[in-house]
Amino acid sequence: MLLAVPDPWIRWDYVGRHVPDIWADLVEHVELTVIAVLAGLLIAIPVGLLAWRYRSTRNGILAFTGGLYTIPSLALFALLVPFTGLTILTSEIGLVAYTLLILVRNIVVGLDGVPADVRDAANGMGYRPFRRLYRVELPLALPVILAGVRIATVTTIGLVTITALLGQGGLGKLILEGLIRDFRTPLVIGIVLSVALAVMADLGLGLAQRLATPWSRE
Amino acid sequence: MHALAYRAVLSGILGLSLIASACGSSGGGSPSGSAGNKGTVTVAGFNFSESSILVSIYGGALKGDGYTVNYKLNLGNREVVEPALEKGDIDLYPGYAATELEFLNKGAGQATGDSKATTNKLNELLKPKSLIALDPSSAADTNAFAMTKEGAAKFGNPTKLSDLAKYDGKLTLGGPAECPKRPFCQPGLEKTYGFKFKAFKALDFDGPLLKAALTKGDVDLGEIGTTDATVLDKGFVVLQDDKKLQAADNVVPVGRTKVLDSGTTKLLNQVSAKLTTEDIAAMNKKADVDKADPDQVAKDWLKSHGFKPR
Amino acid sequence: MSFLGEVVSWLADPAHWSGPGGIPTRLEEHVVMSLAALLTAALIALPLGLTLGHYGRGGALAINVSNVGRAVPSFAILVFALQLVGVGATPAFLALVALAIPPMVTNSYVGMRDIDPELRDAGRGLGMRERRILLRLELPNAMPVVMAGVRTAGVQVVATATLAALVAWGGLGRFIVDGLSQRDFVQVFAGAVLVALLSALAEVLLALLQRFLTPRGLRTVRAVERNRARAAQVPLSEPAT
Repeated sequence: MLLAVPDPWIRWDYVGRHVPDIWADLVEHVELTVIAVLAGLLIAIPVGLLAWRYRSTRNGILAFTGGLYTIPSLALFALLVPFTGLTILTSEIGLVAYTLLILVRNIVVGLDGVPADVRDAANGMGYRPFRRLYRVELPLALPVILAGVRIATVTTIGLVTITALLGQGGLGKLILEGLIRDFRTPLVIGIVLSVALAVMADLGLGLAQRLATPWSRE
Repeated sequence: MHALAYRAVLSGILGLSLIASACGSSGGGSPSGSAGNKGTVTVAGFNFSESSILVSIYGGALKGDGYTVNYKLNLGNREVVEPALEKGDIDLYPGYAATELEFLNKGAGQATGDSKATTNKLNELLKPKSLIALDPSSAADTNAFAMTKEGAAKFGNPTKLSDLAKYDGKLTLGGPAECPKRPFCQPGLEKTYGFKFKAFKALDFDGPLLKAALTKGDVDLGEIGTTDATVLDKGFVVLQDDKKLQAADNVVPVGRTKVLDSGTTKLLNQVSAKLTTEDIAAMNKKADVDKADPDQVAKDWLKSHGFKPR
Repeated sequence: MSFLGEVVSWLADPAHWSGPGGIPTRLEEHVVMSLAALLTAALIALPLGLTLGHYGRGGALAINVSNVGRAVPSFAILVFALQLVGVGATPAFLALVALAIPPMVTNSYVGMRDIDPELRDAGRGLGMRERRILLRLELPNAMPVVMAGVRTAGVQVVATATLAALVAWGGLGRFIVDGLSQRDFVQVFAGAVLVALLSALAEVLLALLQRFLTPRGLRTVRAVERNRARAAQVPLSEPAT
């Protein structure tokens, strides 16, 4: 004799009461994402430069970062827990690991894409390798690199939700609550906000990409 | 012009990283309330909704007393929460006396139906870890096992667990993932009632997954809690624990002695003294069925029992 | 015994290879579910993406919807599907299909658009009808990028099926989720190894499929490098979740 009325998809009174909590979750989500992508870049730039410069290392590096990518995220986080506990560090190590493939690959491909004659012209003009990198090659590689940052950011925003299972999670906490309490409202809010966040990040970075490289069409 | 834009993007990235590091680490769940001058306490709960209510009750009482409370709701099961307490990642959690004891003594079977004796034994094990279990409440949430009416009909309409003994190897049990390792769950059932299960399905503790699987028939027998508020609505039949497998699973706050001074201990013991099993069942109903906020439900309880949640 | 040694013994233990919770059962569940979801998604996504790419219409809409779809976290889709259809294999299936569609739509569309328009003109000039152009001319040329989408989707489905264990399904994810709940990290690691191996296998098989489906003339080294560069531009979906 089930008298339960199905739970409405959104209870607006819940939303009204929980705006500060939802906002805090959103901020936490953004923080976790930004830290991961920036840390990822900090690692990926030197590694990517290495893989690009020294072709012999390239396959090895791409295979390693690619291998990280195939480890199921829940397993990666779970395996870090005995070492780093249920902390932000655990979440960030996992999140950064997943950005590496995309960032390293795009740095390599981007730098590869610089036409050889441009490089020759720069050499002819007297640029030494480091300056040539900074002034000529990186700017030309920027569109592809930024494309990688976009993808890495959107990917990370999705992965942050899983860290809710480790006591962090940002918007993932709302999704977890929806699961544990069989409660649709926080679930819907969590989904809508994560998608909105991802779309905004994608558009925002796309705009940055366009602004930084007005000479390229993409 | 492009060089400017290029530099702008780079500085933007740099600026963002500075902001990110300035924002610093983020804490646990809900933002803590008004300034507490007595220090900070981190209260954590298990990943089922009743625990969130109990966390909000004890945490709310502490907050009303002037502490700053950080909540870590839905942290996980005991395998996660207890080590976190030992490590100092959290300061307090609302436990259940008999199960806490059997968790720490690795299933040695010391828990009894006497909550005081059980808690004393528990404290013997907690003391060397600088932890303490406070006075147990009269309120308890013990494991119980239920079938659907249709399921019961398939297995001879049992009223008590010993009625199932003749279905050795035929029943599928549903419960939280740790159930096959818990003395009050699968191993205890099989030993005490003398039959083995055909299979075990890992779901959740008395939560939506378990109830859905039970209703659907994916499992024949499911582990619920005695304070579950939805048994009638869902048409479940709870089987009597006639061989008394279960012990005194009274609610008992477990925390670090460093954080629990005489003032906090007295307050929390007052809360436990006023808490009853009926109270918990009623609060479960409000939170699980009516989808009220666990912390609001807790606040209402605290107010009506003379505590000051602020 | 070292941790890795324990993992090896766990994997070698015959008790873990029998029964409803054993490796073969879980493996079978995982493979069947992944194949079913990938095929179903392909049946929906590929015709859609290829047709839109051929006519060059509705691409922006398709790609944007795809992007939004790609942005929904897999964990969230699983819980959402649970709310829609209850427990069992169905929510897992629906969620996996939903996750596999976006990369395949996007890649098929982009793959078709990327084709040198002169090829299409040549085909029309030769009197080929639209469908023949699509199937015999464009599709083989778009194959590398299209297959990159299928491969991405395939690996993602295999990996996300592990998360479905969180909503009471089975599969290899059970070892990871149950191991995490029981703090049995040997089990977690063993489960992770199994999933990673299966994902790698899926990637290899799909790569072979791609090779089989790509006409010989397009399998040159230059083409491979060009496609790798193109794949770097096309949005990936989420990694192993």
